[in-house]
Amino acid sequence: MSSKILKFTLNGEPVEIAVSPEDMLVDVLRDKLELTGTKKGCGKGECGACTIIMDGEAVNSCLVPAMKAMSASVETIEGIGGPGKFHPVQETFMDLGAIQCGFCTPGMIMSSKALLDKTTSPTSQEIKKALAGNICRCTGYVKIEEAVMAAAEKMREKQ
Amino acid sequence: MLQDYLFPETISEAVSFLKSNEGQARIIAGGTDLLLDIPEGKIKTSCLVDITRIPELSKITLEDGVISIGAAVTHNQAANSELIQEKAAALAQAASCVGSYQIRNSATVIGNVCNAQPAADTAVALVALGAVAEIANPGGTEYVPVEKMYAGVGKSTIDSASQLVTRVSFPAAQKKQGTAFVRLHQRKALALPMLNVAAMVALEGGKFLWARIAMAPVGPGPVRALSAEEILKGAEVTPEVIEKAAQSALEQANPRSSALRGSKEYRTSVLPVLVRRALEQAVANAGSSCK
Amino acid sequence: MKEYNVVGHSVRRLDAVEKATGTAGFTSDMKLPGMLYAKVLRSPYAHARILSIDTSEAEKLPGVKAVATHKNTPRELFNTSATMTFTVPPMVPVLDQYIFDNVVRYVGDEVAAVAAVTEKIAEAALKLIKVEYELLPAVFDPLEAMTPEAPVIHESHKKNIPGGEVIQIPYGDAEKGFAESDLIIEKTFKVPVQKQAQMETQAAVAQVGLDGKITVWSTTQTPHPTKMILAKIFSVPESKIRVLNPPYIGGGFGVRIGLSAKAEPIAVALSMLAKKPVKIVYTRKEDFIASDTRHAGYVTVKLGAKKDGAFHAMYLKAILNGGAYCSFSCETPGVLGCMGMAVYRIPNQFYYGHSVYTNTTPSGAMRGFGNPQAMYPIESVVDMMAEQLGMDPLELRLKNIMQVGDPWPLPYKCSSTGLAECIAKGARSIGWEKRGKLNKPGAKKLRGIGMGVGTHCSNAWPWCGDYDNAYITVQQDGSIHLATGVPDMGTGTSTSLPQIAAEVMGVGLDKVSITFADSASTPFTIGSHASRTLYAAGTAVVEAARDARKQVLEYAGEFLKVAPERLELKDSVIYVTGQAVGNDCSGSGVCQTGESERKSISLKELAYNAHLRNKQFIGVGRIVPDNAPPWHAHFAEVEVDTELGQIRVIKVAAVHDVGKAVNPMIVEGQIEGGVLMGIGYALSEEIKYDEKGKQLHDSFHKYMLATADDTPEIDVMIVESNDPTGPFGAKGVGETGLVPTAAAIANAVYDATGIRFTEIPLTEERVFRALAENRK
Ligand code: FES
Ligand code: FES
Repeated sequence: MSSKILKFTLNGEPVEIAVSPEDMLVDVLRDKLELTGTKKGCGKGECGACTIIMDGEAVNSCLVPAMKAMSASVETIEGIGGPGKFHPVQETFMDLGAIQCGFCTPGMIMSSKALLDKTTSPTSQEIKKALAGNICRCTGYVKIEEAVMAAAEKMREKQ
Repeated sequence: MLQDYLFPETISEAVSFLKSNEGQARIIAGGTDLLLDIPEGKIKTSCLVDITRIPELSKITLEDGVISIGAAVTHNQAANSELIQEKAAALAQAASCVGSYQIRNSATVIGNVCNAQPAADTAVALVALGAVAEIANPGGTEYVPVEKMYAGVGKSTIDSASQLVTRVSFPAAQKKQGTAFVRLHQRKALALPMLNVAAMVALEGGKFLWARIAMAPVGPGPVRALSAEEILKGAEVTPEVIEKAAQSALEQANPRSSALRGSKEYRTSVLPVLVRRALEQAVANAGSSCK
Repeated sequence: MKEYNVVGHSVRRLDAVEKATGTAGFTSDMKLPGMLYAKVLRSPYAHARILSIDTSEAEKLPGVKAVATHKNTPRELFNTSATMTFTVPPMVPVLDQYIFDNVVRYVGDEVAAVAAVTEKIAEAALKLIKVEYELLPAVFDPLEAMTPEAPVIHESHKKNIPGGEVIQIPYGDAEKGFAESDLIIEKTFKVPVQKQAQMETQAAVAQVGLDGKITVWSTTQTPHPTKMILAKIFSVPESKIRVLNPPYIGGGFGVRIGLSAKAEPIAVALSMLAKKPVKIVYTRKEDFIASDTRHAGYVTVKLGAKKDGAFHAMYLKAILNGGAYCSFSCETPGVLGCMGMAVYRIPNQFYYGHSVYTNTTPSGAMRGFGNPQAMYPIESVVDMMAEQLGMDPLELRLKNIMQVGDPWPLPYKCSSTGLAECIAKGARSIGWEKRGKLNKPGAKKLRGIGMGVGTHCSNAWPWCGDYDNAYITVQQDGSIHLATGVPDMGTGTSTSLPQIAAEVMGVGLDKVSITFADSASTPFTIGSHASRTLYAAGTAVVEAARDARKQVLEYAGEFLKVAPERLELKDSVIYVTGQAVGNDCSGSGVCQTGESERKSISLKELAYNAHLRNKQFIGVGRIVPDNAPPWHAHFAEVEVDTELGQIRVIKVAAVHDVGKAVNPMIVEGQIEGGVLMGIGYALSEEIKYDEKGKQLHDSFHKYMLATADDTPEIDVMIVESNDPTGPFGAKGVGETGLVPTAAAIANAVYDATGIRFTEIPLTEERVFRALAENRK
């Protein structure tokens, strides 16, 4: 199998890694780079668990050939915040009960972040549209939508 | 087995990559359909030629009243474009219905057309808009109406191993012209349509100058409701006329029964409702309301 | 109402940080040194005999380390559900499955499995396995499967009834009751196959040590029973098997009570053959077609009432589609009947129900466990009865609902109910008074309001054995460690159980940590299901904490030279209450002279003091739980697009008597998720089969569960009736969110259209047809 050198920026750091043209980005992230925060719920673009942000846009990493990330900037759940410096969306997801089993959570948070990167005053409708590709079987989406709204408010306050 | 992945910088480079690989290479844009087909063995290719980094293909332009959409333009770019929203509302609506937000960030409008699914939402809209595709062949450029790009169910006339659709173009809606797209689906995202209909109307003095209606899945690709268009031509804009046209749409429609998305009977029964709603919206968008 | 320090507070979940940062451990994320990847070859046929199977080519493929078939794996019958470990005699568990058999009984049934160094190689090896099948006749509908001509699916189970088990529950005299009734309504309903569709597919990683010890990380909801099942299959002592979650599971909803489909035994079998750790993660399609579903079937309700509206007799019958293997097919009809009979005071009742084998994906446990199948029909018939009686359906329910202490068919008491309050609150939220006044004549979009009520259990007894254990150790610095075997599938029990422990121990939640869902480091529990975790495991935690607290206070009593009864433990400090007067102590009957000067000591100091004197406080909770009924009333408003047949739910108000909400935010989340699943059950979720028995809905794309954009307003309210049997008054809540949802929606659709649907889901086509039929 022919392998290629893929160079891209991952969570702000340059990465160089050998991949096969057949590899999907989700597998490169999870298996080769051991960033298992990005989940795989279907592998077919039907659940959003694998959502990452590539060049500012939320995409399903299970439908992105790894090679498409060439020279791109990729953000995953591991890169957006953690203890001491949580992203507002992470904070509101934790505080408002938007997390249950947590399997959809990384993808859900990435979709939310991508939305809030574009607008910090989303309507309920915009949130629903932006998250409609992220299946969550636990929450009924109620607290997730509330959390995104609350995160938007936090971000507006900071601006 | 996939061996190579290339990023041409120009259209001609893309076409020559295809040529030098003698049918073993294939165009990839968003890849959201292609990458499901390759592992399943439905498509065999050894090299993918990624056209999304060819600068001129990423543009949405308006020139001399004609809107063009490049092959790398994604559904979200089309749906969020003010130009498209204003001058081709049907396409903006159709593009915003496909898959999910993430899919629409990857999947391209032209990819949707080339994949030739019978009810491809943007293809339905583009047919109603009278769109023409520009195709780069090894031998030169060719123009084909989107309506003629279907060679059968799931079969495009485009051979992505040797050809590249570079853009689709259609006239921007002018004053007193309106377009609309309606879709019947089982949920609002991650669902193929049970039926979808797009319409474009041109009005003049309370009458339809002309109308173009596309509907799916009622044939291999988007199907023109020619009888309805005929009825509307020159007719008064009234609910009765619209209803009559909507009913006649069935004359060209041949929906199949789908175990997942509705029986032939159901689709047949509700198609006129959708055609009527599309026409009503298109008329409203044309700035006139239907009395 | 009593105010607590930790209980009753919506604290942030203890697993929130890990889950919000992507660092939480799930089985599907695991990687061990030398680990192999497994893939399963599945039957393309609904019913066939395997005449021959040739794996030689697959074995030759470089990278393949083991191929397992019925020829080289244990021939030990089992049941994938935990029922095989806690069915109480005289009942016997139905054991009808091997890891691999030489007969396949549904499309997706396991034929063989490969372990290889990569998933791709394993996948490629499957294609090299040659199988020769002899097709057998197949049957897919339970009623057809009961006919004499139907093919027999399991030789030892005649008439295709698993275990021959027909459940009959007589209560009062139904026949006489109907004779005495003024009004009788009877209707049969058809309910669909619903899928749990939890986000993490079935998965397991097995490691077989050279010493014969087996460790299995998996997605199971029941590590201890799963250990027992594996011990039986592989003939290994239970003490040598450790089953655990790593520690999180991406949802459950009943789909892995027992084994995670067959992920665990396949991984273990391959690991034994390959002598390497083996990981198996089901694809989404496998999860859809080869992992238990909710039971579909036919449910008949016959209700008799007196003129004044008093219910007098009910006959309930359920014939459920059990699918190809038993799983929970004996228990589900039992719970369906019991729950259906427990909502209203009906003096004369009879229930008859059982499952039937067919050549479809096995049906097992799914959130609600038969109860939604009971309540959609029953609540529909109650509404019909109200109409016939000319009564408001809300009033009719209020008149008949069960009250505390009322006799009922269940072997435990109706110990609490806040249902009347639930109904009142829900009615206010939805605007019940608008009912019947929502539509203008000639409108093409019709609105309607409907309601449904129900109950459920708070653990698995009396349908099977149920007991629980927990232990609490006070660490040498006074912090608390809690060990309980119950998994947290997302339901929040790894937060709410520590909340309970903290409350009883008198420490802050930050002082408590929990080990859970591990058969080796926690005592036995039957696991997380039956809405029991907080109620039953919580009772064990209370016991363990009381025990530890007692030891702490006794020791502190010696230390402070005061009777333990006079000590209080709060905020991690033990202090003396009451004053010593002479030889008499006020506030307690016990007294001790020679009190030390100190009036308090921190738990930290005390624990270390004890440690230096060779003592640790270890609290043990060993309980057999009672059971208690949670109650709920759901109200739905819908809009029906009569031209297309499409139903839009505008709002659901869901009011739940949960006894006591230990963590209200978590409780609300449980209900909200349940409601949306219930909306799916009512409107769109269904797995259908083609005529050859192939599942038509086998992906998220085809299976119509709701997305964020399809979610209506869901107004959840909590009522607290403080049940006397539950920990801090709590009752079950995990399953209740979807019990009466379909009923409320179907009743709202009737209110809008005047059409009584006896089959769900209410797809656009089904509704359209009925509307067209109605116009004729
Ligand atoms: S795993 Fe990528 S969308 Fe489901
Ligand atoms: S929290 Fe479990 S799927 Fe969303």
